[in-house]
Amino acid sequence: MSEVALLENYLVVGALLFGIGLFGFFSRRNMIVMFLCAEMMLQGVSVSLVAWGRWHNDWGGQMLVIFILTVAACEAAIALALVLALYQRSGSLDVAFWQSLREDNQPPHVDRELPPTSGDDKHWPTLTPSGLEPPPNLEEVTHRSHV
Amino acid sequence: MDDGFAWIIFVGTVLLAAGLWLMAPRPRSRGPWSGLLVVAFGLGALVSQLPAVGGAGPEFIFYLLAAATVLPAVATVTCASPMYAAIWFAMTLLGSAGLFLYQGSQFLGVATIIVYAGAILVTFLFVLMLAQPSNNASYDRLTWEAPLSAGAGAVMVGLLTLAIVSVFQNDVAAAHPVSEVTQAALDKELLNPEHMARLGGQLFSRHLIAVELAGTLLLVGLVGCVAIVTQMHKSRVPKASGVGRAMTEVVTGGSMTHVGMSGPISAGAGPGLGGKSHV
Repeated sequence: MSEVALLENYLVVGALLFGIGLFGFFSRRNMIVMFLCAEMMLQGVSVSLVAWGRWHNDWGGQMLVIFILTVAACEAAIALALVLALYQRSGSLDVAFWQSLREDNQPPHVDRELPPTSGDDKHWPTLTPSGLEPPPNLEEVTHRSHV
Repeated sequence: MDDGFAWIIFVGTVLLAAGLWLMAPRPRSRGPWSGLLVVAFGLGALVSQLPAVGGAGPEFIFYLLAAATVLPAVATVTCASPMYAAIWFAMTLLGSAGLFLYQGSQFLGVATIIVYAGAILVTFLFVLMLAQPSNNASYDRLTWEAPLSAGAGAVMVGLLTLAIVSVFQNDVAAAHPVSEVTQAALDKELLNPEHMARLGGQLFSRHLIAVELAGTLLLVGLVGCVAIVTQMHKSRVPKASGVGRAMTEVVTGGSMTHVGMSGPISAGAGPGLGGKSHV
């Protein structure tokens, strides 16, 4: 197994994870998904650190990844507490709700096109009928309500 | 030096940006397949410039693991439903745990699954269930500046790939290798059969202060979390009582009218009782 090739391939995978996470962090509006994307960027860095550690035959890369894991756990706990606090105030996870925090010279963001709220968007879960079919109620079938 | 690889990486970057933009959530969904095709071509262009890992077996395993990491990552950022995004992210974590295992870092592979996918991601899912008002919020299908952010992410990937490939293709760098670790040295140190003993020895000798700091950080994070949550409830009390009262009034009023309307109807439509009373 060629060590140089392994290092290069791992570095590109790490770069891909980082770049995709960057795209998600910039573009998504749901605060929780934004934090997921931040975690994905951390994961990309971890992949490259492990690859560098193997390339240098050194434990430092794996040690750093262990500490990244610790910091990610802390960050997730505090960020989720903050997200919950923000959710209690605004009633939505939309980060655009807080755009009044922007700088003075920035124009406000206005959605150009809102998604249509059609009925077929709502797929509520249903249970499929199962088990034995009960015998038909004769009285109910033959009943006439206005005699 | 031949710089044809730079053009191919450039094309791959453009394709990646276009595919990510096509796949980004939008008000009227078109389905992910066209964007996924473009992303796949972009990734193929980037991968075609990388050297082979060596041997058909390692090649197959590596690309399987890399695909199991990168494709769920794409799905995570482009999936409209945050619940599915979290589950796709769990797939990414499983793939990267496989990559860690393939490098011989067994502890990290297992710790990624247990700590990341098992604890952190489940916390995300809990908060999603607490805070997600409905299944399909409108802001999940809207994005900020999707073309620009797709460009930013793809340019990041493209530049890093270009740097990596050109550094290792460079003749000067090839003539003076930074580090050439032999298999024997790897077997002695990083791929030692006593992996956990070596790792723990390093962690608790050379990085002992960092371990203590990490423990302190966890404690501070815990205290901060509790402080935020208690403060949140304290600050909500005066407002929440007013809002809560109004909400209960609305709800009881609504349910009362509902009961008043549906009561006679359900009594009339009841199959057993209504029928018998008429007979």
